[in-house]
Amino acid sequence: MKKNRLIKVAIFMLLQLLFSLWSFGQPSMIRGTVTDENGAPLVGVNVVIQGTTIGTTTDVNGEYQIEAGAESTLTFSFVGYLSESIVVGNQTEINITLLPDIMQLQDVVVVGYGTQRRETMTGSISKVGGEEITKSPSPNVTTSLAGRLPGLVVNQRDGWPGREFLDIVIRGNATMDSDPDYEPGTADDPNDPFDVINPNEPLVVIDGVPRDNLSRLNPEDIESITVLKDASAAIYGARGANGVILVTTKQGSQGAPAFNFSYSYAINKPTKIPDMMDAATFAEVYNEAEWYRQGRPDMSTFVPFFTDEAIQKYRDGSDPVLYPNTDWPGEILKDHSYLQRVNLQAKGGSENTRYLLSFGMTDQDGNLKNNPTHYKQYNVRARVDVDLTKALTVGANINAIFNDRTYAAQLVDFVGILQSNPTLVAVYPNGLIAPGRFRNNPLLIDRSGYDKTKDYPLYSTFTATYNVPFVKGLALDASYNYDLRNEFQKLFRTPLYYHEYNVVTGEYDRMVTDNPVELTDTYRKWTTSLFNFRVSYKKTIAQFHNVSAMLGTEQQRWTFSYAQAYRKNFVSAAIPEIDAGSTDPENKENRGSAAETAYNNYFGRVNYDFKRKYLLEFVFRYDGSQVFPEGKRYGFFPGVSAGWRLSEEEFLANLPFISELKLRGSYGELGNDRVPQWQYLQAFQFGNNYVFGGRDAPGIFSSTMPNPDITWEVSKKSDFGLVAELWDGLFGVDLTVFKEKRSNILWRRSLSVSHVFGFPALPDENIGKVDNHGFELVLNHRNTVGDLVYSVIANTSFARSEIIFMDEVPPAEPYQTETGHPFGSDLYYKSDGIFNTQEELNSYPHASGTQVGDIKIVDLNNDGVIDAADRYRYNNSPIPEYVFGLTANFQYKGFDLTLFFQGQTNAYSYDFTLTEIGQQDLDNNCVYRATNRWTVNNQEGATMPRADGWIPGATDFFLYDETFARLKNAELGYSLPGSILSKVKLKNVRVFANGTNLLTWAKEITWKDPELRSGDFTEYPPLRIINFGVNVEF
Amino acid sequence: MKTIKTIKRIIPVLLILYFISCNQNILDFEPEDRIAESAVWSDANLINAYHTDLYNAIPHGFYIHMYSKYTDEAYNSAPCCCAELFALNTYSPGNIASMGGVTTDDNWCTNFFYYWDRGYNYIRKVNVFLEKMEEIDVVLEDKKQLVAEAKFLRAFIYFELIKRFGGVPIVSQAYGLGDIESVTFKRNTFDECVAFIEQDLTETMPDLPDQYPSTDANYGRATADACQALLSRTLLYAASPLFNPSNDQQKWQKAADAAEALLDKGYDLYPDYQELFELSQGDAQDEVIFSRGFTTSNGHQAPMHNFNRRYEAYGGWWGSNGPSQNLVDDYDMTNGEPPFLSDGTVNPASGYDPQNPFQDRDPRFDATIVHDETVFRGDTYEMWISEDGSQWGYDSYKNTGDNPRTNYVLKKFMPTEGPFNWQTQFTIQWPHFRLAEIYLNYAEAKFELGDEATAREYISLVRARVGMPALPETVTGEDLRTRIYNERRIEMAFENQRMFDVRRWKIAIDVENRPIRTLDIYLDLSTGVKRYEEVVLLDKSGTYEEKMNLFPISSDEIQRNPELTQTPGW
Repeated sequence: MKKNRLIKVAIFMLLQLLFSLWSFGQPSMIRGTVTDENGAPLVGVNVVIQGTTIGTTTDVNGEYQIEAGAESTLTFSFVGYLSESIVVGNQTEINITLLPDIMQLQDVVVVGYGTQRRETMTGSISKVGGEEITKSPSPNVTTSLAGRLPGLVVNQRDGWPGREFLDIVIRGNATMDSDPDYEPGTADDPNDPFDVINPNEPLVVIDGVPRDNLSRLNPEDIESITVLKDASAAIYGARGANGVILVTTKQGSQGAPAFNFSYSYAINKPTKIPDMMDAATFAEVYNEAEWYRQGRPDMSTFVPFFTDEAIQKYRDGSDPVLYPNTDWPGEILKDHSYLQRVNLQAKGGSENTRYLLSFGMTDQDGNLKNNPTHYKQYNVRARVDVDLTKALTVGANINAIFNDRTYAAQLVDFVGILQSNPTLVAVYPNGLIAPGRFRNNPLLIDRSGYDKTKDYPLYSTFTATYNVPFVKGLALDASYNYDLRNEFQKLFRTPLYYHEYNVVTGEYDRMVTDNPVELTDTYRKWTTSLFNFRVSYKKTIAQFHNVSAMLGTEQQRWTFSYAQAYRKNFVSAAIPEIDAGSTDPENKENRGSAAETAYNNYFGRVNYDFKRKYLLEFVFRYDGSQVFPEGKRYGFFPGVSAGWRLSEEEFLANLPFISELKLRGSYGELGNDRVPQWQYLQAFQFGNNYVFGGRDAPGIFSSTMPNPDITWEVSKKSDFGLVAELWDGLFGVDLTVFKEKRSNILWRRSLSVSHVFGFPALPDENIGKVDNHGFELVLNHRNTVGDLVYSVIANTSFARSEIIFMDEVPPAEPYQTETGHPFGSDLYYKSDGIFNTQEELNSYPHASGTQVGDIKIVDLNNDGVIDAADRYRYNNSPIPEYVFGLTANFQYKGFDLTLFFQGQTNAYSYDFTLTEIGQQDLDNNCVYRATNRWTVNNQEGATMPRADGWIPGATDFFLYDETFARLKNAELGYSLPGSILSKVKLKNVRVFANGTNLLTWAKEITWKDPELRSGDFTEYPPLRIINFGVNVEF
Repeated sequence: MKTIKTIKRIIPVLLILYFISCNQNILDFEPEDRIAESAVWSDANLINAYHTDLYNAIPHGFYIHMYSKYTDEAYNSAPCCCAELFALNTYSPGNIASMGGVTTDDNWCTNFFYYWDRGYNYIRKVNVFLEKMEEIDVVLEDKKQLVAEAKFLRAFIYFELIKRFGGVPIVSQAYGLGDIESVTFKRNTFDECVAFIEQDLTETMPDLPDQYPSTDANYGRATADACQALLSRTLLYAASPLFNPSNDQQKWQKAADAAEALLDKGYDLYPDYQELFELSQGDAQDEVIFSRGFTTSNGHQAPMHNFNRRYEAYGGWWGSNGPSQNLVDDYDMTNGEPPFLSDGTVNPASGYDPQNPFQDRDPRFDATIVHDETVFRGDTYEMWISEDGSQWGYDSYKNTGDNPRTNYVLKKFMPTEGPFNWQTQFTIQWPHFRLAEIYLNYAEAKFELGDEATAREYISLVRARVGMPALPETVTGEDLRTRIYNERRIEMAFENQRMFDVRRWKIAIDVENRPIRTLDIYLDLSTGVKRYEEVVLLDKSGTYEEKMNLFPISSDEIQRNPELTQTPGW
């Protein structure tokens, strides 16, 4: 028996092993075939005698045989299908059809260094299957996770193809960001990998290795993604405090080769482009602002910047050369751009070998005209597992990503598009391209060179599993991983030309910029190597006591290096290579550096359960991080959890509607080390050069004081949960409440240390404290009505943190303290409408510069003066406290429909781009700001302050509720019926259409995409994607 | 047999175990991108490199914002990005720290206006250096000189602090993190700080060469003359009304003596005033006593930050340093007469024609400012707008927001030749001290001591370089003081002096409350006649208060230091 171990996850073998230990004899042999809803044989279905671990799996023909007594019940389970249980009775042949489980409530969940059965799981763990991720046409895997995993918050803050900016946190921000920029310190260096550290980032583990390329994985390769949120992450010890995202990729399965081909073509465009003012409105608003700036002179003496005749010409378009009315976004944005993907997957295996080969291609175009932006990605994966002997299995999983990103040499941001002055020409009527604002017309962008990056990471994993034959239940696992990422960037800038209408001669002058040809070649290399070795043992004692234990060690080393060469003043722009540049020393520059980190740790897990009813788990990690000095490097991080499956109790046996009822709780201590390296060392960097006699002299400086005692940040997490499934899935609930206390947070002192000491940036010290609490709730319902199978899963999560200690300088007023609020909550002036009359203005305290039509700022401390002390601490940040997700699946005969809604609330963001309008720098602004602005003739109806606009600082007037709900994904598919398929000799053909960001409802933020980065609306918005595709299996 | 097979199978596992166990020191390694402190103080080259960084302590004027736009020299059409607090004097203890920072990077635009953090940061660096020099075993041939240079820099830092804040805490030792609990700071008096500066400089001078030729490889290092020049400026400030309310003549005498010591040191006024501000270190000249140099790899972009939209020089900051009419009006006529009388009416003796305002002005006007009809780098500048508003010149603010609103563009420090684009690192040096200032210091001190003839003589020397007539003997008393003040304003325009001068003279309450003005130029397209109309760009009246003569200390810093007193009035 058990020759076919068709399993999805390598470590599942250990579980299988457990089954074999628990055998006891049974009389009769049962045979049968397991098929799917189309009658096709299902390979690898687990057939287990209920209440035991005796079991087998179906072979390539879907057939099985098992010895079982008449009184026993056979349970058939298969990943992705609903389990079935049949009482054997006097049958000797049991054939069964499994229905697909569109709920994806799978039996086995990947946890840290192993797998667990969902019903005996005690941790707070969420999971999403790969099929759900592929329902989103987004080329970025991370964006597809938004709303799908309770507790995981993903916000897409901008939409640049290939470099989308994503905020990703688990259970909100639970620690504080002590980025060196926060207090006096060093600046951002894009080449310094330690410089961009978000201490709230969760750990991402892909196939057992901490890896950073989640977003760029091929979604078709993903088997499942699980998120460890509570003490269960303690097995990742020092890096588990922010939660852990575990990604498992697919592997081969025994059987005839199966091919899966899919192609999809999508059109996309930004979700929302703000409506900007036209030229005439822009001119009017500017004149108003100018009039205010000049102190509201008498109209008879006021000379407006734009004359009435000019405004008329802007409006009627009679002179498009001198008086254009340019709709910049309309001129620059394409109607739509494309995104196409091809995937080809082959898997199968013989008795001793299983393989999976996967190839994926993504090709994405930019959304701007004349812009070289292009993103192309190839993903290749080869996975082979070989049973060398009965006991020894080795495997390799090689994944290569070829990532070609092309952008313009000069970044065109949406600032250049949206804020460009509409009274400037974009394209002259004769088709010549004008300079635009600051000579930065985005239409010229393909004339000034390019920025090409070839980013080629290679991920490799080699595994070996040895089931020690002479000790039943003992297994050894080892893996070696080596990742090598090479990136080559070529930034080539050339002079560009444009045409400018000459008001004197009436000609279109051809202008060429006089900047030199410049080339910067940068080569970056990252490597990660990781050894992992684990011993595991499983045993059942006295029939009911199930014990398993695992002990492991892991070492990781990470390196980074870069070299950069620069030349300018090329003789010609024909050859964009360093050697073609000027050899004059003044025209050359090069840079380079290297860095390294390492981890060394030991970890383990012990599970015990009694009759699968009372569950207990203990995990630990003894973690060593090189970030800390000797003596402070190692930390011990334990986690313990317990569960009680009430549904297994006798006293609930007479409540048959309860299919599953479980209480669980956990407590753990985890660590966090996401702070800059070498803080324990007084170290000096090269830089701060100075000039003597016209020549550069090298300098060195230290940017921080050392902290010889720096060590781990500690997170104490407690979780309590309830899982119930009633009426066989008609209703299910999964509720988790959690509390977390962070202490030892690495934070810089600000109160205690006078700047007169003259210290450079203070080091992080283990002084901060933050508390965090919240809940996660999942409700689900699934049902079958005739041929309609449907399910609805709703999830919501809430997390709120509170700073307990941060060595805060006592602010001028008590309502300004940051302590007691979530990290990231900011200070705002309180607004109270708009000053409508001079009398009102005079009778109310106001900051100098305030005019009638400006925002009325509340004098919070009643001192008669509006100053910085009148700002109050707002309790919310742009990170949402509540996030929602709702998935509805429908299946009717060959049709399937998935709708996925996502939303958030209790997040607030400030939009400073709205504060002023009609300023002297001639920035355009959106219609939202211009409409209903205060003017002398529109006072009562004004909802926005006057043109120009003056505020003493950020006010809550421009603080907006980020609440939104959107139809994040929808997918409609149709699978051809089996009768047709058998004729064309295909296993499955499915055509589908799906989309991302299809509908959005936003509570307050209506002029831009509500998810955009806090601060302004001039970011690349996320994309709305509409996609059509076909999937063929044969 | 079976056992042997089993053993064979277990071998790979043992191998892996071995592989792991032999790498137990995986966490022990040294950084690859930085140097441990222990290495620094035992290596002469690294000690020199540490010392070199100390020179970065002193702010120069080539960051994004020149101080000119914070006073009446220029109009800031970029009321943002660190500059907003000075437009209408809205700075306060609560917000002043936003004008500061420690490193050039976290202070990319403010020009270390709130110099407190930066100053004390470098004072500590100097103190660390001085202490290490007493401990180290490495043989340094020029140790004495390095120490002397470091002390000069410390004195300079203190001067930069006291001219902003008045008396500040004197810190002459390097504290460590362990001292946080036990040490607090309080202000020393202004006079104590001056005495400290004097002492540092006096001790230092014997260990330094008097001067280096401007073409020498060491030019730009501290010299005895640089010490003397710093002393001259410090003592002049100390004698000025803001810091010398009793008008103690002793203080003026010290100021005069300090300046006098430099008069016969071999320095000469550079013959071409405009060219002087285009020179880089290494160019021959005898006027600049101490300067900050730049190279093509360690340069500045002041021309790009300050010019208007010509030669790709679209103002990164909207040409935000547009010279103001307030300054333009203060250039004398070539006949030596000021164009305006003290009551603001046209001085009939000057021959000034309001409808021909740029004619016959002090040559320094054309050397400092590009105006309508200026020919610069072969281009004629056009700031006019047609009378009907339908057309405008290429350099008019109407053409693009990158042309300064004032219709004037800064010419001082702008290269008349060579590339003019964002890709170029400019090497024009920043003069910290030059002979003309010493003349002006001397004249001012002598005047306050009652020696008006000497005062006139040295003012006239400065004027003579550009061919301006000498001050007639008829100019005496308060008139002479006005002329001395004005000479300094004109000669040292855009050298970051004016802002502090008006404060120490205590005339800021008047000057800083005046509106910032300019001339709009209207062209009648049919006749070609231009008309000049004065406009107010920024009404600053009532925004400046007496207390603003000295800056407040950030309220956070006061919180951290219970014994530190806030600047009076704040």
